[in-house]
Amino acid sequence: VTPRGVIVVGFDGSPDACSAVTWAARHAAAFGARLRVVHAVGLLEHAHLAGSSPPDGDAARRIAGDAGLDPAEVEWCVVDGDPCSALLREAEAEPATVLIVVGSRGSGAHAGTLLGSTSLELAEHASLPVTIVPAAAG
Amino acid sequence: VTALVVAGPAGLSEHDGGRGHPEQQARVFAAMNGVRALGLEDEVVYPAIREASLEELTRVHAPAYLAELEAFCARGGGAIDPDTYARPDSWTAARRAAGAGLAALAELERLGEGVAFVPVRPPGHHATPDRAMGFCLLNNVAVAAASRTARGERVLVVDWDVHHGNGTQDIFWDDPDVLYLSTHQHPLFPGTGRADEVGGPGAPGLTVNLPLPRGATGDVVRAAIDEVARGAIEEFRPDWVLVSCGFDAHRDDPLGELELSSGDFGELARVVSEFAPAPGRLALFLEGGYDPEALAASVEATLGALLGVRTDTPAPTTGGPGRAQLEAARDERRHAIDRVHTEVGP
Repeated sequence: VTPRGVIVVGFDGSPDACSAVTWAARHAAAFGARLRVVHAVGLLEHAHLAGSSPPDGDAARRIAGDAGLDPAEVEWCVVDGDPCSALLREAEAEPATVLIVVGSRGSGAHAGTLLGSTSLELAEHASLPVTIVPAAAG
Repeated sequence: VTALVVAGPAGLSEHDGGRGHPEQQARVFAAMNGVRALGLEDEVVYPAIREASLEELTRVHAPAYLAELEAFCARGGGAIDPDTYARPDSWTAARRAAGAGLAALAELERLGEGVAFVPVRPPGHHATPDRAMGFCLLNNVAVAAASRTARGERVLVVDWDVHHGNGTQDIFWDDPDVLYLSTHQHPLFPGTGRADEVGGPGAPGLTVNLPLPRGATGDVVRAAIDEVARGAIEEFRPDWVLVSCGFDAHRDDPLGELELSSGDFGELARVVSEFAPAPGRLALFLEGGYDPEALAASVEATLGALLGVRTDTPAPTTGGPGRAQLEAARDERRHAIDRVHTEVGP
């Protein structure tokens, strides 16, 4: 990781996403990278029909801080779109991005299929390295 | 009154997102209430609907994606992303929705006149060549458009849904036989649809995005189509006009923040109908629209305007923001098209 590179991590508030932020924050701290935490807002969340409270930036900063990253190095981004597209857009629009990190299962995903798996879709479509973090590894 | 072809309803109980999901079968019932309110009864033509074939679907979707979607449904379905779901019978429902559009165009050709309305679900305009999203599994309007470009015809797709039709844009990004025009609230899901997204090197300028701020009223949406996009459309000279007619730009809709009345959709329909080259070359595909009463009234106003049926709909709206954004969009488009030409070279 080059100095001042950016690690982009997806965050939907799920346990796997928390693990992904922890893993990404540790590596950002170790390599001197900044951390951009991206939350994608879909149709239902925009209309307050998602059935659960959306995650907030404070929660992501707290997780990153617990993992040893200076909270000042954490950028919270709320982006319209489905999780895969939003992460790709945010990551690829920033030339300093060196890595995309995502939990192995977002809320509502299904093991072993491309459909319903943000992590597998990312791996399929990304032009940058992608790290998929299982819950236990965070 | 000219003929009204209604290719639907399709996508009823077999595709159900469960309690509380806004993309539900009540939407199609509401759309049909709008049709019935016109009082045309026996004058409405209902063509038989069939499932779109794999050959028809692979004109716009990747075979691997279609196989994955079919298998996913066969395994019981589930959540695809936080918004989008599939059920065991969703594969069939989605193929019928796509097939309904094909039936509508075939019926218009047989009649040689009229307009078609395709009240189906799941909706389609967010479905990309290889991804389901935004409640959409298969891109219904794209399947219909591709059926005509396969015959060498040119298709204008007008998308006045409150959300940008990223799937339709992706599918026809580099296709010189399709002009894709979208008016939509921006920023909003799916996050695409900036004015500088103008098409690929094979079709520079044939993607026309006119993003609007929240609060925009019907006069601004009309100006976007009638004033800003008209030149590109007239130069394109379409053989067909297909409309992704979401009604979630209505001021009562829970998923958007534009301020259109049902009467505005009638005005938009009048403007768009001017681009059809002949009778029987205009078809409207239901996309979004999640307030049942607003949906029914908007369908009635839209079809009433096209058929010359008087309807008791609220007046068109004026005075909202967005004119400045339209002017900015003209400039952004011009620069973006120049960039594409420069990259392509002489």
